[in-house]
Amino acid sequence: MANDSSDFARSMAIATSGLRAQAGRMRVISENIANADSTSSTAGGDPYRRKVPTFSSALDRTLDAQVVTLGKIKPDQSNFRVKYEPSNPAADASGNVKYPNVNSVVEMTDMRDAQRSYEANVNIISATRRMIQRTLDILKS
Amino acid sequence: MSINDLPVLSALRTKMQWHQERQRVLSENVSNSDTPNFRPRELVEPKFDKTGAPAGSMGPLAMTVTSASHMTPSGAPSSFDQNKNAGFETRPAGNAVNLEEEMTKSANNQMDYAAVTSLYAKSLHLLKTAIGKG
Repeated sequence: MANDSSDFARSMAIATSGLRAQAGRMRVISENIANADSTSSTAGGDPYRRKVPTFSSALDRTLDAQVVTLGKIKPDQSNFRVKYEPSNPAADASGNVKYPNVNSVVEMTDMRDAQRSYEANVNIISATRRMIQRTLDILKS
Repeated sequence: MSINDLPVLSALRTKMQWHQERQRVLSENVSNSDTPNFRPRELVEPKFDKTGAPAGSMGPLAMTVTSASHMTPSGAPSSFDQNKNAGFETRPAGNAVNLEEEMTKSANNQMDYAAVTSLYAKSLHLLKTAIGKG
């Protein structure tokens, strides 16, 4: 085996990469939710565009294992919501205001999903820790 | 004959290594549960013959790295045979990891590991009794 560090240490490191990726996804989701109503600062301009996190699996050569990394954060190219609000400072000449293409229901489900994956990774870490504890218990007997 | 050559202990040790490696494979599956086109993996359980030596189902020989700059082939090497048919429910993104299934496997793996370590400790205790120190 190329790597001499114990498999348990590697399991923990892999699960940690999962935690990091999910935490990054959470950050993007919170950015989307926070900006759900941000309009453009100029009249008729484009508002905040929803961001989509991507994941990719990469071979970590020091760990010799497939870890997950948060890839590029890409803009969502779907259409903006348009509302007729002539009194709004961000309204264009015809009185329409562009609102971000953020759908809070989609963001909420994404958030639950990120939370669930995060918990799964935490569970793997605690299971691995219990297994390490069992190994150490052999010494005690 | 050293203590490590005892069939019981070496079989238990192989089993412990298997659980350790399985935990790593499960950890890979869980951390990649949102990666597009990721296929989960699983290890084949080792079988032991009468002497306690593992029989069959061991992994392929690892490639020898002759230079530090050589790349490792993708997919971590394993000393146990892999079951590539794990995961039958594929999502539209091509990811076939089922978190519930992986969690159950991880819990099972942990319990089995606990059982094996207890057996190992008991075997050591037995040896202590045999040499009159128990």
